[in-house]
Amino acid sequence: MNLELIGNLVRLRYKLLWAKTRTRNGKIALFFSGYLLLVMVLFLLSLGGFSAGVTFVRSGKGTLVAAAVLTGIGLQGLLSTVVLGFGISTIFADTELRRYPIKARERRLVRHLIGILDPFWFLFLALELGLAFGLYLFGAGSFWMGLIAVILFFIANYLAARLLALLVDRLVARKGGSIVLLASVISLGFLPSLLQPVLHKNSPVVVAAAHIFHYTPPYVAAVAMTHFDLSAVSGIAVLLAWLLALAAALVAIERRPPKIRAAQATSVSWNSPFDRLGALFPERYAPLVAHWLRFYFRNNRFRTIYPLALPLAAFLLFFFGKQAGPHSTFPASLSAFLILGCIGTAQFAVNQFGYVSGGFRRFLLLPTDPAAAFRAGSFTFMMLSAVLIPVAALLWCLFAPAPFDARALVMLVGASVFSLFFFHALGLWTSLLAPRRGNYATAFGNDLSFAANVVVIAGMLIMLFAPRLLAKPWPAAVSPAFWWTTPSAAALAAAFYFVSLRTTTTVFRVRREQLLAIVEGRS
Amino acid sequence: MDSPADAIRISGLVKRYGAVTAVENLSLRVRPGTMFGFLGPNGSGKSTTIGCITGLLDPTAGQVEILGQPFDSENAAIKRRIGVMPESLGLFDPLYAHEFLAFVARMFGLDETTTRKRVTELLDALELTDTSKTLADYSTGMRKRVAFAASVIHTPEVLFLDEPFESIDPAGVALMKQWLRRFTEQGRTVFMTSHVLETVERLCEEVAIITRPGKLVWQGDVTVLASDGAIRFDGREFRALEPLFLHLTGERYKDLSWL
Repeated sequence: MNLELIGNLVRLRYKLLWAKTRTRNGKIALFFSGYLLLVMVLFLLSLGGFSAGVTFVRSGKGTLVAAAVLTGIGLQGLLSTVVLGFGISTIFADTELRRYPIKARERRLVRHLIGILDPFWFLFLALELGLAFGLYLFGAGSFWMGLIAVILFFIANYLAARLLALLVDRLVARKGGSIVLLASVISLGFLPSLLQPVLHKNSPVVVAAAHIFHYTPPYVAAVAMTHFDLSAVSGIAVLLAWLLALAAALVAIERRPPKIRAAQATSVSWNSPFDRLGALFPERYAPLVAHWLRFYFRNNRFRTIYPLALPLAAFLLFFFGKQAGPHSTFPASLSAFLILGCIGTAQFAVNQFGYVSGGFRRFLLLPTDPAAAFRAGSFTFMMLSAVLIPVAALLWCLFAPAPFDARALVMLVGASVFSLFFFHALGLWTSLLAPRRGNYATAFGNDLSFAANVVVIAGMLIMLFAPRLLAKPWPAAVSPAFWWTTPSAAALAAAFYFVSLRTTTTVFRVRREQLLAIVEGRS
Repeated sequence: MDSPADAIRISGLVKRYGAVTAVENLSLRVRPGTMFGFLGPNGSGKSTTIGCITGLLDPTAGQVEILGQPFDSENAAIKRRIGVMPESLGLFDPLYAHEFLAFVARMFGLDETTTRKRVTELLDALELTDTSKTLADYSTGMRKRVAFAASVIHTPEVLFLDEPFESIDPAGVALMKQWLRRFTEQGRTVFMTSHVLETVERLCEEVAIITRPGKLVWQGDVTVLASDGAIRFDGREFRALEPLFLHLTGERYKDLSWL
């Protein structure tokens, strides 16, 4: 093992990270993320440990509570890694590491060391350590056993996340893979609600499921953290077995080269649906809109996320509606329609040129206002999100749990149109002021800048919870009686969008050289 | 009778990036119908200059005239009359070659029939007929051919080529040279950079050499070299472009004892 070179390569990853702080935006991002990270680590450490300890003392069900907390943390790690791409470093692909005099085993070690040492995973480690410390402090477990269990569980969680991310990547790269993934996500989303009545009637199934749960990493880690006897050792042993199995599976899949879709000669098509859709726009935008459509519909990430927009909105409506009860589903519908207005294109609209790379240069050489490509891109995302609104409205009319009320429909469509204009207006600003070079080839991952992440994540959370929060103190405001509110807000959002469009055209002219440097990876 | 306007006229061009000067007070003129070579060592500001005179970058100071008209990055009318093959090619990787060329052609105002005809002919002539690959899957040489095709598809009056022959196979280079010669014979202008001095020597009629940071050190006729003549400069005779280039740029061969 060339440990010196391995150490140098791991350090290089952090040198590259540090190099980003040489720019002004990088310094701001570093300050905020460093500050937030520190606050969050402290908060999670204390809260996680303390609350778990208190819960244990009060409930007397330490193992179960610890297992539930670890399951939550583990699932968060998996979802954040696979869906949002946090924590997976693409800085050093295996092919990039081949230039260094290290063997395949060492290359794998470098990549996973870099992966697990990502600050994102530190948060999970902090939370798990906090839990172990809390349990130890209240006399519920051994410090050393708890520490070993946390470290093993942490590594197992990382390996499971990498394994799942790799499997999803391989699946999406296959023909029809995006469809399979879409169907799987929808099925998984609806599964708990569908299983609930079945499980309710069949308690032996629940007992069997609970028995299986006793062999999962969170449970065995919890056993190790909350026992002083041999069962703690057996918990560590099962955890170790999980870790080895996950590592073996990951290595086995990594060793298998991904199946690349066989190149097929295609007939040259001159009038594709993209061109026909583009032709709906004024002549100077038509080729540009067609181009953006073509560009994004060939993107695995877009092809995975965009078709999920409608099912996701339906799921939110179903899930939150069920939680809220049969008489208060309207706030849930409002949330679903708000989110529908932007979720399909959000990730791309806030970083419009992020995946264009060297192609951005071409836009500046074309005999048109250089900002035309920028505006055309925004029109494209607006169009793609807008077409979902009438479909959703129709479905809502057909399947709405309440009697049809035209005012409700106007309010819901108004909410969608509001988020459509408002969010895409914000997207114009973040695309120019906080762009980030992304990887066009990957299906998952978080390629957004700090500001764009804030817009997307905060925007989604607000849209998800604001109607429900508002419904508590002021139920009438989130009812069809106030049907005029969302169309009015939509009109204001439309004005904001068009003002932003005009203003950002000027900003584009000023910032285009910086944009060029960023999207081409020179800044 | 008035002489025709210069194809390109650059006056006092300056480009700065913060405290760094990339191009310093560069002035030069290129006559119409000329094959013009723009040379300089790495990092001397060639690509930055091309960026400034094709609308990609905004000069910090100075004026640029193309085909007798003032030019800046917003001048779409002039952009329609020029063709550019940038150093980084400016391709959209997920597109097929015909899609990319058709997009460029439409943006330059070509109608549908002309677009189809020219795209088909260009792909055929440049041997880019493999429809199973997107631009991402093309080799560097093939990508360069596509970028070249995109720069000429609208028959521009002035063509800017940044390192056009690098990575292209000899047959491709020969074809491109033949096209470029015919291009200038028709009164059109080619402004190109290259590090292959032999090619520039044989192909270009006039050459400008710049040094870091974007300072013009020599501009002159190089056709004498093709007829075994010599260029006189600093009291010396140069029978090839390479010694002249090395003399002007101060570039020297350096030996490393361990290599």
